[in-house]
Amino acid sequence: MSLSLSLTVNGIARTLDLADPRVTLLDLLRDRLHLTGTKKGCDRGQCGACTILLDGRRINSCLALAISHDGADILTIEGVAQGDQLHPVQAAFIAHDGLQCGYCTPGQIMSAIGLLREAQTGDDPERVREAMSGNLCRCGAYAGITAAVLDAQRSMADAGRAHAA
Amino acid sequence: MAGYSRPTDLAAALSLLAERRPVILAGGTDHFPARVAAGPAEDILDITALGGLRAIERRGDHLWVPCLATWADLGAANLPAGLEALTQAAAQIGGVQIQNTATLCGNLCNASPAADGIPPLLALDAEVELASLAGRRRMSLDAFLLGPRQTARRPEEMLLGLHIPLPVAPSRSVFAKLGARRYLVISIVMLALVAEFGADGMISRARVAVGACGPRARRLPALEAALAGARPDPALLRRAHLAPLLPIDDMRGTAAYRLDAVATLLRRALAGMVPA
Ligand SMILES: Cc1cc2nc3c(=O)[nH]c(=O)nc-3n(C[C@H](O)[C@H](O)[C@H](O)COP(=O)(O)OP(=O)(O)OC[C@H]3O[C@@H](n4cnc5c(N)ncnc54)[C@H](O)[C@@H]3O)c2cc1C
Ligand code: FES
Ligand code: FES
Repeated sequence: MSLSLSLTVNGIARTLDLADPRVTLLDLLRDRLHLTGTKKGCDRGQCGACTILLDGRRINSCLALAISHDGADILTIEGVAQGDQLHPVQAAFIAHDGLQCGYCTPGQIMSAIGLLREAQTGDDPERVREAMSGNLCRCGAYAGITAAVLDAQRSMADAGRAHAA
Repeated sequence: MAGYSRPTDLAAALSLLAERRPVILAGGTDHFPARVAAGPAEDILDITALGGLRAIERRGDHLWVPCLATWADLGAANLPAGLEALTQAAAQIGGVQIQNTATLCGNLCNASPAADGIPPLLALDAEVELASLAGRRRMSLDAFLLGPRQTARRPEEMLLGLHIPLPVAPSRSVFAKLGARRYLVISIVMLALVAEFGADGMISRARVAVGACGPRARRLPALEAALAGARPDPALLRRAHLAPLLPIDDMRGTAAYRLDAVATLLRRALAGMVPA
């Protein structure tokens, strides 16, 4: 049995044949599409290193079958910068040292982009920590991560206002 | 190789269940972690494309939570006063990535003793609705939960959704969970307290359920009786009220610690409860 799957990944339409329906979205991204920015930390939902946006919402790609998401629109870390211009969340992670080894960082950034779209936390650091709790950082860069998320939220709001003016 | 199907139509899903007894897949957040080392090939029935089974809605005297409603959907639903415990639980199940895909019905079917959804739904007297080719049947969540990872669901049945009675009297409810850290953690104990209030500010009816203290979550009828007719007062709690709980010693805590933690969480819940 071969299954056909259509996805839009970082704005590009892809059609893929799957020999085994049990391939996860994470393995498909990494092994079939060679988008290795999305990391496999635990493969069981606990670390958040595999976070992507699926139809605009953050999920753990290790806990999803690719075949379940035929027709979906996927954004991974490879798709967030505009050419050489970093996404405001990427820039804020650099400015605030929101990383050390960097292994968790693609997942942290995708989760933070999802968090900013949800717009539920306001500027309360405790709410940001709660909303980022699905992403573990073994290096313990949490203080920088929280500062980066809050800073990106401010800079995106400023840019939005400047754009509107 | 094992089969995979993702029907859009309920009748097709129920026929498949009757014929092949596949494993049902919803959000997958319990399913995949239990299968990390690729296990034996099994047929999968992915129910996530079934139409009309996502939207949480008020239906007459109850709230209908269909099988594809996620914890994030529940958290975003504007629930009436008295169902706060559900909103609070929704925010404490895993992280947002989990909440965005995990369903309430998956939490109930998985029937872990540590399932956070169970105490609030038990305290709110939720009912489950099961569907098979033979028809539908409803039963209380209490009757549905048989033991650890055991439910009254037959292999040819699917859990279609939950009926949660809407509060009839002015009510408040609260969910409380203790874990080894603040977020993204398996509960050491968790509980839900639901109180209806009379015009005099006294509790007219109380319902309490506690989880992770035995093979399955339990109501505390003696405490419920002691609270009826009283103000929400932590001093009303007696050790004997916790008799239905049978906690064990495990890596997350000893039985004695669990009982102590339940008593503390209950006292806090009562102390913090403002009459409706
Ligand atoms: C990192 C992480 C953190 C977690 N944190 C928590 C937590 O804090 N609290 C908590 O309670 N749980 C937690 N969980 C467990 C899990 O997320 C929940 O139990 C969730 O609600 C399961 O829903 P699901 O849709 O993902 O179920 P699935 O994994 O799809 O299914 C679970 C089980 O139910 C069956 N099933 C699902 N839907 C139906 C249906 N409609 N009819 C019949 N059978 C069905 C499946 O066959 C399977 O056996 C966590 C999991 C992870 C990976
Ligand atoms: S690899 Fe998916 S959550 Fe860890
Ligand atoms: S930067 Fe090393 S794990 Fe987070």
